[in-house]
Amino acid sequence: MIDVALSLVTSVAILMIAYVMAISSKDLIRLLISLELMFGAVFLALLPLFSIETLLDESFGIAVVTIFTSSSELLILIGTIVKLDRMKEDITTSSIIAGGEGL
Amino acid sequence: MPIEVYAIFLLSAFAVISAVGSLITTDNFYAALYMALTLVTIAGIYALMNLQEIFILITFIFVGAIGIVTVSLAAVYKFRPSRQLSKLWLIPSALTVVILGYVLYTKVTYIALVGRINLSGLGLEYFLLISALVSLIVLLMLSILSISRGGISD
Repeated sequence: MIDVALSLVTSVAILMIAYVMAISSKDLIRLLISLELMFGAVFLALLPLFSIETLLDESFGIAVVTIFTSSSELLILIGTIVKLDRMKEDITTSSIIAGGEGL
Repeated sequence: MPIEVYAIFLLSAFAVISAVGSLITTDNFYAALYMALTLVTIAGIYALMNLQEIFILITFIFVGAIGIVTVSLAAVYKFRPSRQLSKLWLIPSALTVVILGYVLYTKVTYIALVGRINLSGLGLEYFLLISALVSLIVLLMLSILSISRGGISD
């Protein structure tokens, strides 16, 4: 028997650390790292799903889709960072103004 | 309590400590290394729960591919002299962790994990899905390689 609260509490702690990191990030690399930590917290939150025997296959499917889609999202962000560096030679979050300046 | 429970406690504590290390370090390279350590620890929790398939997926795909690309990217933009941690946000974040942690710890019941996933019992759709997702990752990796080598004009 394992206390499921342990994985959920750890997940919440890592998620909040990642939020603080994302809020206070000054460059896109730090933002990328915080996003990866957030996905790590999501993986931990999936753990209790594997305790339901009838949902074991579905849990595996959800975990597979989560891992691959989050990886794809991060790869796109990495591509964007490389592209931004080539265009502006700057990867600070303050250099990104498009999409937000009209709000 | 069996030894596995202590090991999961230890791994959970280690995951949180390495995540904190990633938050407080000013160097992006070390932050990426701490992040990789956190993810390996999370994968380790899955391995201890006898879910080796998920452990392999997280370690190979998430840490092996994405983590290493992030570490190498962080190594390129290594030095960042300014302090990046906003202390004002630490208080509400810590409060949220305490409140949510208390609620989860008091309300959630104990579970028993039901053992291994039977891969041979899974249908063809799963393997089709995994093949499609692996192809997607390979395509994205190739696109990033193409962008980083200047294959696409600005």
